[in-house]
Amino acid sequence: MSALSNLLIPAVLFFALGFIARAIKSDLRVPPDLAKVLSIYLLMAIGLHGGYALGKAELSTAFNSVLWAIILGFTLPLIGYGLLLMTRKVDHMNSAAIAAHYGSVSAGTFLTAIAYLDNLNISYESYPVIMLAVMESPAIIVGLLLASWSRHRLAVTGNSGGTAVLQQGGMANGQLSGLLHEAFTNGSVVLLIGSMVIGAIAAPASMEKLSPFIDDIFMGVLCLFLFEMGMEAARRIREFRKVGAVLLVFGIVMPLIGGAIGLVVGGLVLEMGVGGTLLVGVLGASASYIAVPPAMRLAVPEANPSFYLTLSLGITFPFNVIIGIPLYHALAERLVG
Amino acid sequence: MHRLFPEKLVTVITSDVLEDHLVARIRNRGASGYTIVRARGAGSSGEQSGMLDIDTNIKLHVIMPPERLTGLLDDLELLIKKGYHLTVYVSDVSVLSPEKYSESME
Repeated sequence: MSALSNLLIPAVLFFALGFIARAIKSDLRVPPDLAKVLSIYLLMAIGLHGGYALGKAELSTAFNSVLWAIILGFTLPLIGYGLLLMTRKVDHMNSAAIAAHYGSVSAGTFLTAIAYLDNLNISYESYPVIMLAVMESPAIIVGLLLASWSRHRLAVTGNSGGTAVLQQGGMANGQLSGLLHEAFTNGSVVLLIGSMVIGAIAAPASMEKLSPFIDDIFMGVLCLFLFEMGMEAARRIREFRKVGAVLLVFGIVMPLIGGAIGLVVGGLVLEMGVGGTLLVGVLGASASYIAVPPAMRLAVPEANPSFYLTLSLGITFPFNVIIGIPLYHALAERLVG
Repeated sequence: MHRLFPEKLVTVITSDVLEDHLVARIRNRGASGYTIVRARGAGSSGEQSGMLDIDTNIKLHVIMPPERLTGLLDDLELLIKKGYHLTVYVSDVSVLSPEKYSESME
């Protein structure tokens, strides 16, 4: 029961409202660019906040966090790729594209976890914010490498159309450097890291002036954002029939695996408190729907976008917000509490 | 009655992540200009609501003299063969000032 009452925070309730509004086919609409504007604000605010806190934090722990964020970002997609191939229901290219999403992170889920912690008055470390920024890129790179490796393998084994695929490739073959550039200069990565640097080097007095912008209205904006995301999730979940039972199960099992690995990294390796451990767990569990999908669409055209979008936005995101966060919290309490 | 000159209009509907790539092709093939509008709809990639960065479509228009058309269509065909989801169609249009379409952007 307590787990349920912990979910009674406006941000999660607005997510539910958006979901329901869409499910009952309400004519409620938000302007098309609202979510884009709100996500820019949220990344900026969380970046400034995290950077300000990091400016006062220990450098060695920060460095370790970055290192482990990179390790997680590289490992999680490999696990996801292996799992998907083991089902024998998903082809190589779709597996590579989907797996990349699970190595990257969802800022929306991360921020919901912060709202959840604030509601329970649990403090949390600032290091997970820098991990959030770092984890966007490695997964994209792994996804590209898996895709180009699969492309080669298909060509060698002479599968249908394999040679044609090899000769032409995606853009990944000829323009690998361009895509690596894309992975590291992705808008959300630049904004998040840039805001963190500003937060870390700006004069503390001037940062206080920003407080109404980055602290006071933050939760309200998050409500609006999650409201819109609830509508998006409900729209996506209707396509779940298209993705099939195997992918549906993957969309729930993979966050549990990633979440468990994240909790172990946060709690035991980086020795964070309950709040920080929960946040690293959420980083491991969440799937990207901002940075990775455009990269995969560009680099792995053979994969079907409606698979990875339905999975990350329609299945894993709601699962993490409603069930995952309280679950990871309970596990974090066991682990380090 | 105005005098009208025949040209070809190429229309491409696809994901906005391909915009930079398509524009580069179009410039490369000597087009005189192009117009892009944001679009939404549904098709082989699922519904594209235009609400998020990840599911925004574009509709791209290029008017070209018929003799320059082939190169651009080759490029577009190659993209489709690689697996990208493109809707491409070509229509006959009549324009007022043909000299406007004969100069390339470069």
